Amino acid sequence: MTEPQYPQLRIVPTRFLNPETTEQLLEKICKVGGIRRFVLNGPNLPAKVPYGPARGTVNDNSYRRTINVCGEDYNLHVQVGAILLELEDASAIPGIRAACDEVFADKFPYGVTEGIFMRSNMTTTDYAKYGIVDDVRILGMSDPKSKQRPIILQGTK
Amino acid sequence: MAYTPQYGPGTTRVAEVRRNQMNPHLKLEKMRSVTDEDIVLIMGHRAPGQAYPSAHPPLAEQGEPDCPIRKIVKPTEGAKAGDRVRYIQFADSMLNGPCQPYQRTYLEMYRFRAIDPGTLSGRQIVECRERDLEGYARDLIETNIFDPARTGIRGATVHGHSLRLAEDGMMFDMLQRCILDADGVVKYVKDQVGIPLDRKVAVGKPMDAKWLKENTPMYHSFAGTSFRSDEEYVAYVQRIHALRTKYGFMPKEA
Repeated sequence: MTEPQYPQLRIVPTRFLNPETTEQLLEKICKVGGIRRFVLNGPNLPAKVPYGPARGTVNDNSYRRTINVCGEDYNLHVQVGAILLELEDASAIPGIRAACDEVFADKFPYGVTEGIFMRSNMTTTDYAKYGIVDDVRILGMSDPKSKQRPIILQGTK
Repeated sequence: MAYTPQYGPGTTRVAEVRRNQMNPHLKLEKMRSVTDEDIVLIMGHRAPGQAYPSAHPPLAEQGEPDCPIRKIVKPTEGAKAGDRVRYIQFADSMLNGPCQPYQRTYLEMYRFRAIDPGTLSGRQIVECRERDLEGYARDLIETNIFDPARTGIRGATVHGHSLRLAEDGMMFDMLQRCILDADGVVKYVKDQVGIPLDRKVAVGKPMDAKWLKENTPMYHSFAGTSFRSDEEYVAYVQRIHALRTKYGFMPKEA
């Protein structure tokens, strides 16, 4: 894989985040600016029970709800365990760390690591699985064939 | 000289907890009360108050063959009545959960009769006659081998034992079968397979971190006692490993 052009960060709290905390954190991070794209990672919370005797029953789960980030509604269907960020440049990193400090100060510890967490170009396996992906912004973020499209947050530039 | 079981090696508190849980002469400490109806609701095998469905006629009516083993082994109440075989399954968080799958199987085999436990990495199922199961389930839920937040009663979709906890300290559950209510009590809102219940079933308040650390039978270098700190346990495991590996060569211990 080629080196990514943009710096990437991963925020890992020691607990899974509530939708409220996720909302609060993303709101603060987005205000910092300089973010190209981000992914909310965590175990899936399906809308219906996928298997077992209760298969097909509606899965009521308080962690699965719509959150509002920078004025955009997003249907959160994972319990957030990590946030991956791709930045325009490294100047946003101190601001993001400060935002995390503020949100997690009275809750629990967290870690922020710099590294490569999203793909910057397609792998052979990606071609085999997805074919040619027109929108390269989605690479390394989620399944390009997924029906749920990414949200685009306006107003940071 | 009469044989006294040692139950397990180790000098740490974790090893002691393991031994105490396995030793059938030590009574498990009762921590909370759950009604019969609550247990029936959580397990979801029959409606509360419903008669036990049967898989075969009662043994007394069936006419047992003349068998010496049947004379030695007395049937349990469930077997006598011809109850169906039903199950309860637990998932225990690796972050200082008060029990763990292998441990559950050991302790159940020492303490209960007529059971068929199944042990997996993240969950443990125990099957037996329905009437007996309800009694055993009471012991498993009411005593110190259960924590409402870090032990889940999960018949299907058990994933979560090795994941981080939620902000409120609850173990991850995709189906959110239990919730930490506003009064600080954990309540089941779905039965063990994820079918919504008509009412919330309270199973008590979560235990605090100090109690959990004192009463866990799990080694965890990050959250509790590290395995390597128990030299006796490490030596024992290494010995078993070496003997098993060399077994084909018929090893003789020096």
